[in-house]
Amino acid sequence: MSIIASRRPAKPGTGSPAKPGTGSPAKPGTGSAAIHPSAQARFTLALAAGKAAGTASRALRAGGGTSFVGKVALRIDPRVLGKVAAASDAHTVIVTGSNGKTTTCRMLAALAQAGGLTVTQNRSGSNLLQGVVSAAVRGSDLRGRMGAQLFLLEVDEATVRRVTPDVPPGTFLITNIFRDQLDRFGELYSMAKALESVIEALPASATVVLNADDPLVASLAPGAPARRVHFGIRAGGASPLRPEHSADTIRCVRCQHLLSYRAVYLSHLGDYECPECGQARPDLDIAVTSVRPSPGSGSEITAQTPAGTFDLQVPLPGVHNVYNAAAALASWTALAPPRPLVPAQAQRAMAALRPAFGRLEEIRAGDRRVVLAFVKNPTAYNATLREVLRRPGRKHVLAAHSNTVVDGEDFAWLWDVDLEALVPQLARLVACGTRAEEVALRFKYAGADPSITQVLPSRTAALQAALAATPPGESLYIFAGYTPMRELRGVMQRRGWVAPSWKE
Amino acid sequence: MTSGDSRTIRICYLYPRLLSVAGDRGNLFALMQRCAWRGIHYRVTEADVGEVPDFTQCDLVMLHGGQDREMGVAARDLAAKSGALREAIEGDAVVIAVCAGYQLLGHSYAPVGGPPIPGLGVLDVTTEGGPTRFIGHVAAECELGSGTKRVLTGFENHSGRSYLGAGAQPLGRVLAGAGNNGEDGTEGARYREVYATYLHGPVLPKNPWLADHLLSRALAHRYTDPGPLAPLGDRAEADAHTAALRLARRQTGKLRSATAAMSRLGRSVRGPATTRRAARPAGSGAAWTSR
Repeated sequence: MSIIASRRPAKPGTGSPAKPGTGSPAKPGTGSAAIHPSAQARFTLALAAGKAAGTASRALRAGGGTSFVGKVALRIDPRVLGKVAAASDAHTVIVTGSNGKTTTCRMLAALAQAGGLTVTQNRSGSNLLQGVVSAAVRGSDLRGRMGAQLFLLEVDEATVRRVTPDVPPGTFLITNIFRDQLDRFGELYSMAKALESVIEALPASATVVLNADDPLVASLAPGAPARRVHFGIRAGGASPLRPEHSADTIRCVRCQHLLSYRAVYLSHLGDYECPECGQARPDLDIAVTSVRPSPGSGSEITAQTPAGTFDLQVPLPGVHNVYNAAAALASWTALAPPRPLVPAQAQRAMAALRPAFGRLEEIRAGDRRVVLAFVKNPTAYNATLREVLRRPGRKHVLAAHSNTVVDGEDFAWLWDVDLEALVPQLARLVACGTRAEEVALRFKYAGADPSITQVLPSRTAALQAALAATPPGESLYIFAGYTPMRELRGVMQRRGWVAPSWKE
Repeated sequence: MTSGDSRTIRICYLYPRLLSVAGDRGNLFALMQRCAWRGIHYRVTEADVGEVPDFTQCDLVMLHGGQDREMGVAARDLAAKSGALREAIEGDAVVIAVCAGYQLLGHSYAPVGGPPIPGLGVLDVTTEGGPTRFIGHVAAECELGSGTKRVLTGFENHSGRSYLGAGAQPLGRVLAGAGNNGEDGTEGARYREVYATYLHGPVLPKNPWLADHLLSRALAHRYTDPGPLAPLGDRAEADAHTAALRLARRQTGKLRSATAAMSRLGRSVRGPATTRRAARPAGSGAAWTSR
């Protein structure tokens, strides 16, 4: 990231070739400007080189070039992203927030394709600047024109400010804001402020889609010119009235008084009101009015939207996926101009969804099964744990965390995860990654017996040991941060158990 | 668990929902488990906003980190608890205070561009917001009166700079990281049985020597002849401590080589002992000030 950032011109025009026809006399020593490639040629070269890099990377099985394409293209033309966006007629949707970006994008892409739109999107989780540029380069021809009608991007919360000036979104979706990598993002509120400034800069023709059930998200930029669409859950039935321990925004954003909840659906997401100043959840434009457990795993939901009522089967488990479905539906119905969507088509599209890789992904590993879960913050980890604990049997677990630029340095958040709930079902634990010792210590204080715990930092050795300790026919649950999740999946890919992630 | 030990430690966990942002409850888990493994009883009382516990009945009080908004709420509420808490502290009740909790025990905290937040003033410490955040691994050398030097490791994430007055002594000397202010090499503060630090991570599980020091002082607060703490098999703790120390040292190594490179270029290195990645602009207003 830092390499690209330092090569990126501070101001438009700086460091890129002079615009033709500006009429300014060439200074001595810059007379060779004529042999510099023109802006268009540089742009074309960037696109060609990026595409070639992606092809080569895939041919060499070097990871499919999820960000390599962007890295190469940005080196040649730092303004490549803005140029593609300017040359394109596609409607741009940018999805950001702490959790649910990847799955929401998969759902929205499925709805869009069912509704007859062609889609270009970035690959699962490749949501930093290079990943976004990769999507733009791959999705456009050598003149930078994008074929697809919908340009769908999931963008990291800390990166989104650097993307929106180049790619102004027609629809900007914020899924939620949870504590996540405070060592990367600073405070929760600084993150919220940054997202607020993005919303404020959007024109009146744009739509911002917000999770009304998240008090912080719903409060962002109330006076901004963009149209607001709120989604949330308004389902009866039993739900706790007190947010879980790791919940963040449980106080009124306006007056700091403790919020009172009519229902809590996940962490601090729910139907809230401030008893002091009256600040409450906004009216829902897209409301999930019923959530029923599905016969398989997942939920059946009813959603009321301005475009009608939808009964959908969400094949992915957990209330977090109900929120993802509501977010996708809200983004779809908020498209301007509106696109029709036949309920039957939406149903088929949603029911056919498979989990994104690492989202409780089921993998056959010889005569054993692996359930791969990507966990990166307390809310996501707790939601995953709830699904895993619903399954019968004692749990064989491989827990993996590493300190990297993507995963952060600070793993204090593991102490906010309710691992105490897992320990009574724990048969065996292998801790791995560069922070394996921290992981093992967290499990010890959650009550895991050191005699069933093994610390093996190497990903390959740890996977082997954990599988060997899992009886045939049973499942190994892997809870892993982003980098070790990719590494462990790479090991399983080499053994032929999973397809490469770029074939997803 | 052994039976027959009738010793009980009374723990007051302040603001469990307000000041608990970076795994801080791990400190409570550490104290509870290290009691349980030894058969020592404990009773935990949680006290949130508007609740005033009987501090005179507490042996150990815990106060952790939060972001600025939460810290402001805590400061206003703490004013109502201050008399009783101060009395407990003067009676040698043990206090572990982390980050914002540390700042709240000082005289005041002045965030960048915001009004100063008054503290309890039991620690002779003044804190002001700074232009960058200190984010990174920390190691500090401590000597808590036994003559034995111990190393504290953890992680810091704060923009507040704390300066000690004559009435407070540092908890330790910085070996790696920024500590109190990135300038004077001090980390944390001590007064009577108050132990304040910028280290979260959380700090007690991987520094079991400090957890046990707090427990033995808490027992001494309750019982005239508390007896020694039984030793525990701290293999996982020692491994995590070693790993955290390695990360802190690696960071210092990076800093040293960066300093050397800068001085070769004839430029001075200003500011705190943090890595390049760790120091970042603090922006304006309250949003970036200290947790």
